[in-house]
Amino acid sequence: MMLVTACSLMPLAACASRADVLTFSGSAVGSEGAVVRRQLERFAASHPALPVQIRVTPDAADQRHQLYVQWLNAWTPDPDVLQLDVIWAPEFAAAGWIQPLDGFDQSANDTDFFSAPLRASRWLGHLYAIPWFVDVGMLYWRTDLLAAPPATFDALVAASRDAIANHRVAEGFVWEGARYEGLVAVFLEHLAGFGGRILDDDGRVAVDTPEAIRALTFMRRSIDDVGVVPASVLTWQEEQARFAFQNGRALFMRNWPYAASLMRQPAESAVAGRFAVAALPRDAGSSMPAPGSSDRLLGGSALGGSVLAINARSRHPDAAWAVVRYLTDPEQMLERARVVGQLPTRRSLYDGDRLGGLLPIAPAEARRLIDRAIPRPVTPIYTQLSGILQIHLHRALTHQEEPGSALSHAANDMRRALAAAGLPGGEL
Amino acid sequence: MIPSRLVRPTATALLLLAWAFPLYWMVTASLTPESQLFETPHIVPRALVFNHYQALFAERRFWMPIRNSLVVAAATTTLAVLVGTPCAYAMARLHFRGKTWLLAAVLAVSMLPQISIVSPLFLVLRVVGLIDTYPGLVVPYVTFALPLVVWLMTGFFRGLPSEIEDAARIDGAGRVRAAIEITLPLAAPAVATTAILTFLYAWNEFLFALSFTVSPERQTVPVAIALFRGQYQIPWGEILAGAVVASVPVIVVVVALQRRIVSGLTSGAVKG
Amino acid sequence: MTSGSSTALERRETRLAWRLMVPALGLLALVGAAPLVATGWESLHRHDVRLPWLGRPFVGFANYRQAFHDDRFVTALEHTVVFTAVSVTLELSFGLAFALALDALARGRAVARVVLLLPWALPTVVAALVWRFLFEGQSGIVNATLVWSGLAPREWLAGSFSAWVPIVFGDVWKSTPFVALLLLAGLQGIDASLYEAARLDGAGSWRRFVEITLPLVRPALVVALAFRALDAFRVFDLVYVLTGGGPGAATEVVSLYAFTTLLQDLQFGYASALAMLVFLMSFMLALFCIPRLRVSVAPDR
Repeated sequence: MMLVTACSLMPLAACASRADVLTFSGSAVGSEGAVVRRQLERFAASHPALPVQIRVTPDAADQRHQLYVQWLNAWTPDPDVLQLDVIWAPEFAAAGWIQPLDGFDQSANDTDFFSAPLRASRWLGHLYAIPWFVDVGMLYWRTDLLAAPPATFDALVAASRDAIANHRVAEGFVWEGARYEGLVAVFLEHLAGFGGRILDDDGRVAVDTPEAIRALTFMRRSIDDVGVVPASVLTWQEEQARFAFQNGRALFMRNWPYAASLMRQPAESAVAGRFAVAALPRDAGSSMPAPGSSDRLLGGSALGGSVLAINARSRHPDAAWAVVRYLTDPEQMLERARVVGQLPTRRSLYDGDRLGGLLPIAPAEARRLIDRAIPRPVTPIYTQLSGILQIHLHRALTHQEEPGSALSHAANDMRRALAAAGLPGGEL
Repeated sequence: MIPSRLVRPTATALLLLAWAFPLYWMVTASLTPESQLFETPHIVPRALVFNHYQALFAERRFWMPIRNSLVVAAATTTLAVLVGTPCAYAMARLHFRGKTWLLAAVLAVSMLPQISIVSPLFLVLRVVGLIDTYPGLVVPYVTFALPLVVWLMTGFFRGLPSEIEDAARIDGAGRVRAAIEITLPLAAPAVATTAILTFLYAWNEFLFALSFTVSPERQTVPVAIALFRGQYQIPWGEILAGAVVASVPVIVVVVALQRRIVSGLTSGAVKG
Repeated sequence: MTSGSSTALERRETRLAWRLMVPALGLLALVGAAPLVATGWESLHRHDVRLPWLGRPFVGFANYRQAFHDDRFVTALEHTVVFTAVSVTLELSFGLAFALALDALARGRAVARVVLLLPWALPTVVAALVWRFLFEGQSGIVNATLVWSGLAPREWLAGSFSAWVPIVFGDVWKSTPFVALLLLAGLQGIDASLYEAARLDGAGSWRRFVEITLPLVRPALVVALAFRALDAFRVFDLVYVLTGGGPGAATEVVSLYAFTTLLQDLQFGYASALAMLVFLMSFMLALFCIPRLRVSVAPDR
């Protein structure tokens, strides 16, 4: 059936001048690049009518975003298939830059995908992107210094203090606290651990609630009074935190799954074989409401990852859809997990033992984490809201402002932005 | 303590040492394993590794962006000098009205923040089909190098005494012939200076190169370096190694012409 | 005023002048002015690319009015002006010191010049990365040196004032060479016999400096001041890589705010107004400097 679709595109391909190739734009660096190239070659082998070309775009999120904005705002028909960060889908959908996928075959509504990334890829009732791989925030902990990972923040603090006092580590807990998107993910996780949300169920801004103030105060105090988090985290992104943990200086780290495979190499890593991954802790005093999950004891994980979308002005939408379907097939996802260590977005892959040993944590545990992962707000103006939140969070953490006042300013600015955009949630 | 006649050279040496220190750090860091970059630093590195440089050419095919940068920078420099020098000569030597406004307008073109220039230019280049081509980079580069070229060459020509040229014209040579045969040879130092400035600009320019090229066959060095990094992972060793390697052509150009730079940069600009 | 034949000569000269200038001016008008016009036109509309249902209405100068009521813009402007003033002062001072030192250097001049030029020849992004590493909290040389000297280390990039230090150092490191070379040539243009005469008259080195060197190097100083001020006002890469505008918004400069508004918030209309404001302010700065530069670019006659 796909072959027929591809063949029917031949007349179309003949009259498209320079654009008679299908362009895929995304990450093509290192092992990720090798895997994507291999998979696209296999796809092209079974669909000879339309060759597929890879267009390498920068992996730095804001640079890729910049290029996409430029290209799509200029109505370029290529690239046909776009790799988007999961938080961009509503923005691109609202701007009319990517096309709804419901019109294609039924598999667009495949229930095998995790619900959170699917939800984050919907806008106004239509599905605009297919989840490709998923990232969740995780707690890395040293197995040679602890028997079990802490379930609460208090336990985490106690263990850190103990280890620092006994000179086993220099720092307790490291995370990404520079003024960028990663800070919002870290805050989201602390917030969830204290029972709060960024946007509540009605889409209203909820960052000035008492839970949020408690979460931010805890983050600040863990750096200053309690001293288990080094002040350097306020300038760190993922890599600096990884190296702090990898060089054996920290007891705990909050990071994405990518760090695990890198830290397993004994040549570079001082903690190879001496760390494990677990869910993030929560506040002892809060019970986090977890829709659809029986386990109330875990903290929250931020949901990250990438989705695949189709250019709204693509000249080969059907072929593009074929590529998207192929890349998100179970076989291809398994191959990515094997080669790159990225978490697949299909629930069924976590059954049995197909993923055994490929992921930093047991498949069942990973599935639980992803089920409970919290997406960042699904709105077209998310990057702007995040920018506002980043500034105020960072101001509170660097003592330019008190947490309460910082969050209240952030909430007001966010509400004003939503109101100016005419989106729900803007009412005070 | 120090003999008075050595104070100045010593101070100079110390100042130069301080200025060179970040460069020294850059080179040693490109030879250090990455995990060491986040340990306590040592002035003299403990161990040197070459795998960053190996990766540059084995995995990243770094020679291609270097080739692209050389082509684009050389073309930009040549065209900018060829187009800008006659313009500067006219502004310095010839009579016409509105000169100051024109000069101000020429300078004004380079005052808009680059980010605002990129989108409209991208649209234009796309329409004429110049995206991902050498001309697609050279044309914007020449345009935004012109203010500097025109400005410096105008200053230089204005500083040249006109008597020699006038003498040739009295002898019967046409205005243009006099300019070409007499003034132009004298302008060689200034031309060399302008060429270096333009070359450096085109070599290091990033935003236009990122936006107007899409394939490795046309991407320049700054873009290639920016593409090294993964989503979270940043290969600092390779980035620094790439910067060191990319500095080599620049150093060659600069060393060859550094004497010309000093005499050329200011000969017209400072004569009061 | 002039006889008929001079007018014909003038007209011929004007025609020749324009013929010589047309390629350059044509390119500038086509490729250089077009974005300016496009940005100016866009700045008169309200255009949020993410929300096409709001359309693209013409709003006149509303975006500009909004900018002046925008605290974040005003703060960014303050930051930028102070940064420009501090940076340029330091660059001129260091540049003069270097120029004086190199002027008196008997040997090693070539090496000194190459070392001096290298920071200027690096891509700004790489230079910013180097300075970031130098000021890194736990693994940076600067903190290591402080500790070794018995002083307390600090988290440079996390302090609202201390974050400016690597930014200013990075800018001064990168741009002083340009100033130094400009001033060096100016110094080399000064007639040595002037100094001789002054020394014979009994003037000490400080008096010689103030009464001979400074006035004669003043044109070069003005040139350096103008160039550097115009560039420092539009600083972007250095701040973006070093702090991203942080901590909080403590190091946000005007170009960075315009960039964020354009590419993060996708508010093209407002961002265009901010860009136009940067342009207009730079233009005013240039207009202020050009009369003082007239000494070098105005024609003889």
